[in-house]
Amino acid sequence: MSIGAESQQTRIGTDAEVVVVTHEDVDRAHDRVRVSAARAQRGLFSRARLLWLLVGPGVLVMLGENDGPSMLSYAATGAKFGIGFFLPFVALTFCMAIVVQEMTVRLGAATHRGHAELIFERFGPFWGWFSMIDLGIGNFLTLITEFIAIRAGLGFFGVPPWMAILIALVILYSALMSHRYWTWERITLAAAAFNLVFIPVALMTHPNWHTVGHAFITWQPLPGFNKDTLLIVLADIGATVTPWMLFFQQSATVDKGLTTKDIRFGRIDTVLGAALATAAAVATILATAPLFAHQMSAENFQAAEFAQALQPLIGRFGASLFALGMVEAGIVASITISTSSAYAFGEVTHRPHSLNLPMGQGKAFYSVLTLCAAAAAAIVLIPGLPLVYVVLVVNVVAVLAMPPALVFLFMLVNDREIMGDLISPVWANLLSTAVVVILTAAGVLFGISVIAPNIFAALGGK
Amino acid sequence: MLRKKEAQGLDSSSDQNWVLSSLEHDQLVGAKKHHIPRRHLKGPELLVLWALRIYLLFMMAVVVYQVWIAAH
Repeated sequence: MSIGAESQQTRIGTDAEVVVVTHEDVDRAHDRVRVSAARAQRGLFSRARLLWLLVGPGVLVMLGENDGPSMLSYAATGAKFGIGFFLPFVALTFCMAIVVQEMTVRLGAATHRGHAELIFERFGPFWGWFSMIDLGIGNFLTLITEFIAIRAGLGFFGVPPWMAILIALVILYSALMSHRYWTWERITLAAAAFNLVFIPVALMTHPNWHTVGHAFITWQPLPGFNKDTLLIVLADIGATVTPWMLFFQQSATVDKGLTTKDIRFGRIDTVLGAALATAAAVATILATAPLFAHQMSAENFQAAEFAQALQPLIGRFGASLFALGMVEAGIVASITISTSSAYAFGEVTHRPHSLNLPMGQGKAFYSVLTLCAAAAAAIVLIPGLPLVYVVLVVNVVAVLAMPPALVFLFMLVNDREIMGDLISPVWANLLSTAVVVILTAAGVLFGISVIAPNIFAALGGK
Repeated sequence: MLRKKEAQGLDSSSDQNWVLSSLEHDQLVGAKKHHIPRRHLKGPELLVLWALRIYLLFMMAVVVYQVWIAAH
């Protein structure tokens, strides 16, 4: 029987131990053979080729998280606070993201199972469904904000909302058409690289590098302690660590076929992604910092409005790059987030879930992926929707949902029965515990600011 | 060679063996049908999971309250 035949799978072995080889296995085997061939050779070129073959999930998850609402948060940070405390703070949040995401690489490589699948199997459906509901709601809300960013970014060029949404959906669907993880990953990586467009935009604003260096070293000037600052702190944390990232990177690691031999490169991939994402995030803060210097109120700016506000300072070309950056951020994140939802759906329902699947075998997987994106896109077209407020709420929800998701991750990555010797070392556990405590404390502070705003006023805020 | 195989599919047992030798056993789709045994959660673990669940539900109520205030 051949792959491509009606059953699309090959059985070999005796009846007692039948091994089923599927189309997905064949595609993954092709990828693994290339990795093995590169690993067998010595020399700098072979190392570079191995890195090229193994990078992907880490860079995608980090640049994917530099999404519409994230870039909007960084833009608001620069416009509201200028150059100061938030530059090193954003770099710190990406360090937190590295700590968290590295665990998903180890989990995926050691178990060859997705995050949702592991939670269901190890902790049972009761906790599994809680986790799925958190992910489903968070992903859907975040997807809506991605299309808000796309709509706003293309709106800068006069593209009507329905056309902007259609363009985004066509790009998302085109990336899937290869039915091959490797091709999908390279297409999405190429799109994600455009996130770095914020760097030339920042350079066009001619930032004072002495002030930038001073901010990174001293974390000064500090912002005032009030509700607005807390909201930006929460939004910036929500811009770097969110539940979908855990599910996506682990599932993508499995789909890519990484093994325990590849963990070192998985770590490099994650750190490289974080470095690129930090550069883009810091550049966005620097790009909008002149709005702070010119005392321009950016309280309710949308993506395109930031570009419009920057136009007198950096010209039409710079403003266009800024708007295109917002579009890219929304498109890449809509691809990765909807893929994360589809992976999780397939894992918990035990349906085929891989980007290596032909359409016929992966109907459920591709349907969930496409429907999630299409439904979120349709909501953005509702007239009169308070888009800026939706973005704000989504970032806050992402931060609030993170501690429960992290505890599942923490328990799984310290589970010797599934991880063997790859369980987390003590220092990694201390760091991840610190991340959980910081996120929970940020959430509690947010709750206090809503329920009892007078406490903030008493502390000198507003 | 690889492209040729990709185009033609797996026609021989040697091709099938090539797939099996290229992947770790746990990577095969068929191997994932075997369930990982359920872990028995201990008291402190359950306490943390429930505490965080209640925290999340409470905070979601706070978010809904904030949205309601903003809407009015």
